[in-house]
Amino acid sequence: MAYNTAMKILVVDDFATMRRIIKNILKQLGLNDVEEAEDGEQAFKKLQAGKFDFLITDWNMPNCTGLELLKMVRADAKLKAMPVLMVTAEAEKEQVIEAIKSGVNNYVMKPFTSDVLKQKLDKIFNK
Amino acid sequence: MSDEMDEIINDFLIETTEIVDDLSQKFVELENDKDNQELVNGIFRSVHTIKGASGFLGFNQMVQLTHLTESVLKKIKDGDIPLTPGVMDVILESIDMVKVLLEHIKAKDGIEEDLTGILALLQGVYDQAGAPAAAPPPQTIQQAEIPAAPAEDTASSGGSGPTIEELDALMEAQSDQLLRPVGEILVEGGSVTTEEVDDALKIQNMIKESVDTGEVPKVGDILAATEKVSKDEVKKALSKQTQPEKDKPPQQAEQTIRVDVERLDNVLNLVGELVLARNRLMKVVSNLELKYTDNTDVAPLAELTAFINLITTDLQLAVMKTRMQAVRKVFNKFPRMVRDLARSMKKDVELALSGEDTELDKSIIEEIGDPLVHLVRNSVDHGVEMPDVRAAAGKPRGGTVLLSAYQEGNNIVLSIEDDGKGIDVEMLKEKIVEKGLSTPDELERLSTKEILDYIFLPGFSTAKVVSDVSGRGVGMDVVKTNIMKLNGTITIETEKGKGTKFLLRLPLTLAIIQALMVGVGTEVFAVPLASVVETVRIDQSNIKTIRGQETVILRNEIVPVHRLANKFFLPMGQSNGGHKMYLVVILIGEKKFGMMVDKLFGQEEVVIKSIEGFSNSSEGIAGATITGDGKVVLILDPAVMFVGDLRT
Repeated sequence: MAYNTAMKILVVDDFATMRRIIKNILKQLGLNDVEEAEDGEQAFKKLQAGKFDFLITDWNMPNCTGLELLKMVRADAKLKAMPVLMVTAEAEKEQVIEAIKSGVNNYVMKPFTSDVLKQKLDKIFNK
Repeated sequence: MSDEMDEIINDFLIETTEIVDDLSQKFVELENDKDNQELVNGIFRSVHTIKGASGFLGFNQMVQLTHLTESVLKKIKDGDIPLTPGVMDVILESIDMVKVLLEHIKAKDGIEEDLTGILALLQGVYDQAGAPAAAPPPQTIQQAEIPAAPAEDTASSGGSGPTIEELDALMEAQSDQLLRPVGEILVEGGSVTTEEVDDALKIQNMIKESVDTGEVPKVGDILAATEKVSKDEVKKALSKQTQPEKDKPPQQAEQTIRVDVERLDNVLNLVGELVLARNRLMKVVSNLELKYTDNTDVAPLAELTAFINLITTDLQLAVMKTRMQAVRKVFNKFPRMVRDLARSMKKDVELALSGEDTELDKSIIEEIGDPLVHLVRNSVDHGVEMPDVRAAAGKPRGGTVLLSAYQEGNNIVLSIEDDGKGIDVEMLKEKIVEKGLSTPDELERLSTKEILDYIFLPGFSTAKVVSDVSGRGVGMDVVKTNIMKLNGTITIETEKGKGTKFLLRLPLTLAIIQALMVGVGTEVFAVPLASVVETVRIDQSNIKTIRGQETVILRNEIVPVHRLANKFFLPMGQSNGGHKMYLVVILIGEKKFGMMVDKLFGQEEVVIKSIEGFSNSSEGIAGATITGDGKVVLILDPAVMFVGDLRT
């Protein structure tokens, strides 16, 4: 196992159902320590307050987008090394380039299965 | 696991329904404000969100539909497709279909809708932009043959932009460099030019190539050494490297939880009981205070009771607040409705909303929808004229219906105002006579307001031609009855040629009211204080009978008098020395009348309890309550109780 199942994960999405779906998929991979945030601002607050090991964020959100959140994380002295996985849609490939440039660790396209997510996690945590 | 899935689907339904309700409103707003990019983005995101979740949950039809809708929206967002009413019709139709699909998901009936029609329409709009056909929709989880890589499958099959392979390659190359180059920050800050940074990078590369081992000087150092920038500036830039770009502090996120309505109702009920108990406690304590003035325990008891009184009032307010909802919830459906109505009638009508944030008790919000629908329809149908008629009258071709909400004292006022043709009072009079509801002589004596009130009589309609939109003559009386059930009132203001305004006055809450306690014989009744204007003591001899109706003259105004005792077949008490009576003057809408009672007990806060197994609304009984001294007392609804008498 490349990643530690005890790690604490923050899932960010403005759509509650989506957060639940992602949590459910993470559970299938044995990852149970998951918290949620509904936008970038809330997420950043939580990240600063709690010891998270991994951030999974949606890209297209109101208020503070995933890209903005990523930039805030990378610019924060404490959080800049945080592994970040972006969740995006097939139509948003241009955004992936932007995300990569801004230092995202990997991306996954909706909809995805637990197998796909596992591959991505392996890639991120094998480095 | 399947329970978990059910719960997720349930969440999906709730959340998506909220989004869809919100969407209809946004679309109509957008039609009036086509350049509002923020609005377009919001709509796009909503549809995108529904698609995303549907993909995970295997709702193929939903994905198909929302995918194409999203593609069309993207074209609109990018300015490739102009947002014409026709395009809007198609989009609204697709949102309607989303609703239908949601119903199927909810019912778990597994029925597939025939989407070919709406998909063809959407595709037609999409092709309008002269763009290549939209990419096929992404597959859903269940569909994917190779579940390991559903995204890759679809990415290669269509769409523009970089391929997955390119993205992955870029991912690999970039993954180590997580910091922004210092040169970029310096350029941004205006300290150096891009060329100068490029030069510094060249120098850095040259050094890198020539020096096998050892440290390569940093870009910032090179820039400082070549005197392009000061050391301080480099330091500043370096510190920026590790600081957030945006200095704005993360805002306090709104923390909300969903609570079952039943629980809230339960809490409100308990608070109601508490209020009743508090009332009794206060009465008992005030009695004790009189009886045992010398006892040292009584003073602290009174103090404590006063404190409990205060807390109970605050608690009651706080609980009521939890049940308050913005009228936005009701108003939201109207822009779409007005738009569709106006289009079907070939009229040009704009709906303006104001005061959507005004809050009302949940139970009132739930009841107010139907009456409002009727009134808004009425305004569009009967109020606003056809564009040509308006132009001929020197008005703008497009009419406006203004739906607004605001607080007025202890009431919330909802107003529906149009700038249409107004109500022709003379025609209305003819109609009243024609229907045999009154005689011309009688009508002459009535004020305009009283004549307008005939509109609320059952079976009354002023439209010569009955349209399928409104005006079958059912409705206005139902509207009035519904409003009165909510302890509200409805009034009309109109001016021929200028427009009509319906005003609904509603109480903030239904559960707890201030009441005036009155006595007839040995019985006690509660009268809602909101409708009481004043109380006066009169002499029996002042009552004059005019055409069989008892009246008194109050400050030069003739006020009809009703004896509450007669309503309940009670003997009037003679406790006041025979000829003196108390009159409670009540104002319902514009009508004033006096209710004769034996005693006045004063003001009390009462909790309305409905009486089971008794249809109380038609009899003028609003419910019952328990008073401070533990007695069960009927709460009167004077509006209904004397409404029949008022008509005669």
